[in-house]
Amino acid sequence: MLVTTWNGGTMPAKIIDGRSIAAAIREELKGRMAALDGAVPGLAVLVMGDDPSAQSYLRGITRGCEAVGIYTETMRLPQDTTQKLLEDAISRLNSDTRFHGIILQLPLPEHLNSLRAQSAVSPDKDVDGTNPVSCGKLLLGEETFFPSTAYGVKELLVRSGHSPEGRHVVICGRSNIVGKPLAGILVQKRPGANATVTICHTGTRNLPEITRSADILVAAIGRPRAITADMVREGAVVVDVGVNQVEDAATGKPRLVGDVDFDAVAEKAVAVTPVPGGTGPVTTAMLLTNTVAAAEKLLAR
Amino acid sequence: MPGVILDGRQLSRDIRQELRERVTVLAAGAVVPKLAGIIVGDDAGSASYVRLKEKAAAEVGLLSEMCHLPQDYTQRDLLTRISELNRRADVHGIFVQLPLPPQFNESAVLTTISPAKDVDGFHPESVGRSWLGQESFVPATPAGIMEMLRRSGYGDLRHRHAVIVNVDNLVGKPLAALLCHESVSANITLCHPDTPCLADWTRQADLLVVAANRPRFITADMVKEGVIAVDFGTNYVEDTSAKQGYHLEGDIDFEPVREKAEAITPVPGGVGPMTVTMLLAHTVEAAERLAAVS
Ligand SMILES: NC(=O)c1ccc[n+]([C@@H]2O[C@H](COP(=O)([O-])OP(=O)(O)OC[C@H]3O[C@@H](n4cnc5c(N)ncnc54)[C@H](OP(=O)(O)O)[C@@H]3O)[C@@H](O)[C@H]2O)c1
Repeated sequence: MLVTTWNGGTMPAKIIDGRSIAAAIREELKGRMAALDGAVPGLAVLVMGDDPSAQSYLRGITRGCEAVGIYTETMRLPQDTTQKLLEDAISRLNSDTRFHGIILQLPLPEHLNSLRAQSAVSPDKDVDGTNPVSCGKLLLGEETFFPSTAYGVKELLVRSGHSPEGRHVVICGRSNIVGKPLAGILVQKRPGANATVTICHTGTRNLPEITRSADILVAAIGRPRAITADMVREGAVVVDVGVNQVEDAATGKPRLVGDVDFDAVAEKAVAVTPVPGGTGPVTTAMLLTNTVAAAEKLLAR
Repeated sequence: MPGVILDGRQLSRDIRQELRERVTVLAAGAVVPKLAGIIVGDDAGSASYVRLKEKAAAEVGLLSEMCHLPQDYTQRDLLTRISELNRRADVHGIFVQLPLPPQFNESAVLTTISPAKDVDGFHPESVGRSWLGQESFVPATPAGIMEMLRRSGYGDLRHRHAVIVNVDNLVGKPLAALLCHESVSANITLCHPDTPCLADWTRQADLLVVAANRPRFITADMVKEGVIAVDFGTNYVEDTSAKQGYHLEGDIDFEPVREKAEAITPVPGGVGPMTVTMLLAHTVEAAERLAAVS
């Protein structure tokens, strides 16, 4: 992405606009939908209880589906659902032909076994890529659905002109839904990947020293503004996956901030993603992409 | 002082002794672990490797059943055969010797092996479970090195930086999954032998793992003082003074690197001997798991 400067030249945009990248992805999806011979891709969203923090993500999914013409339904199970009832619900969705994709809103309530629930989602419909079979295929470089946040980070980098190829990518965070799958995607010998990848976590010593060696730094730790300017090398690309609610110092009202100390880091980085409006919208767009891909695959069979 | 040599032959003997004891316990409950192997075609290397596995199995008291199929065998028949082995209650571990002749789709073959019997850990579900931090079988090579590290007092790598020079499905990726586990917690960098300025990475390594298949690729100036160096290289280097006309060499320039290292694996006699042993260990484990649930 290039912006026009005061003297008519161009320079890379400093702020990577996730919303406009997501809009471009949705436009492409409309084109792919048109080639589906009238078949309508469907996405089922399974939600346990009514965690308020998940609401805006869920709303984003519904709106995104409407925008591109994906059929979607959100199914709510009570907070105290048993493992058996949850797995039964998943198995019904596996055989429901209206749905090409199924996602399970995580985390599940404490009393449920998420791995077993994730394993119950058919790999053909696992558009969030959380079934162990999908994870294994991702790591092995086989065709599969990528978890949408990790997939989104890769797309965001490539589409903003900061391809990870041949670069050193430092990923802070090793969660199963963000850090690990992103590392798995970026080490593959593929266009848009093939990076040298470092994975950091709370067991990492000298984190600032390592983050300073990053060409591309990805923060997915869930700590407000933990990545400070002194941890970033001049000219690095910084991607902020974190979504943290903090109290605004001036107004006392809650607001969202990322894992990156945005203003200070933006001074040093060549490009940085904002929160909100960075990785969030692209995550949703990738979920839609996976759902359309699932429908295409079914049609091809 | 030169670094400690991590002796894979000795460790492997120790582990096999323990396996014999575990097999005795299982036998008391009327379970004898059985390893089933399938080899297709007439690749001489594969055949001798399978014989090695068979011999090692017998040595620790495992039953084995190696099935040698003709070069022109079909994919369909092979899948049927694997399904039969999956169903058999007396078979605990199954492996298919790779590479397969060109008419086979390796991924489809490996995916047919039941994850509960997948002692080679090549099934995507096994790989995925391991990556997610769940119990599962992992390929013998990374399993062997983890066992070696644990038994040498390097099981907890918190605050250490592991640099893996390899991103293959057999070594680099599954090893990264293991080193990332909560209990090990190394900080990990995955790079390729052709990564530009490789030495900048290798010099940061507290644990350096190399599988590049380039003789003496890692020289002493590329490592830091106190490194734990693990060498997966198996390079046959021409040597007119040797009886066979070659000798085996690793990817690490052994003597000079050892001078700087805290610990180092030799080639031969390092990680190599651990590989077959891990396959046996996985088979015993599969039998124990089955015995525990029934
Ligand atoms: N934009 C999106 O679409 C999206 C999607 C999912 C999540 N998120 C957000 O992304 C953030 C991370 O989510 P998650 O689910 O991956 O979180 P998580 O499961 O809590 O994992 C956090 C990871 O960060 C590591 N970590 C924590 N503090 C650290 C520190 N000071 N230095 C280095 N590493 C540290 C942890 O290390 P240990 O493993 O050692 O504990 C862990 O691996 C959250 O803010 C979440 O809300 C955003």
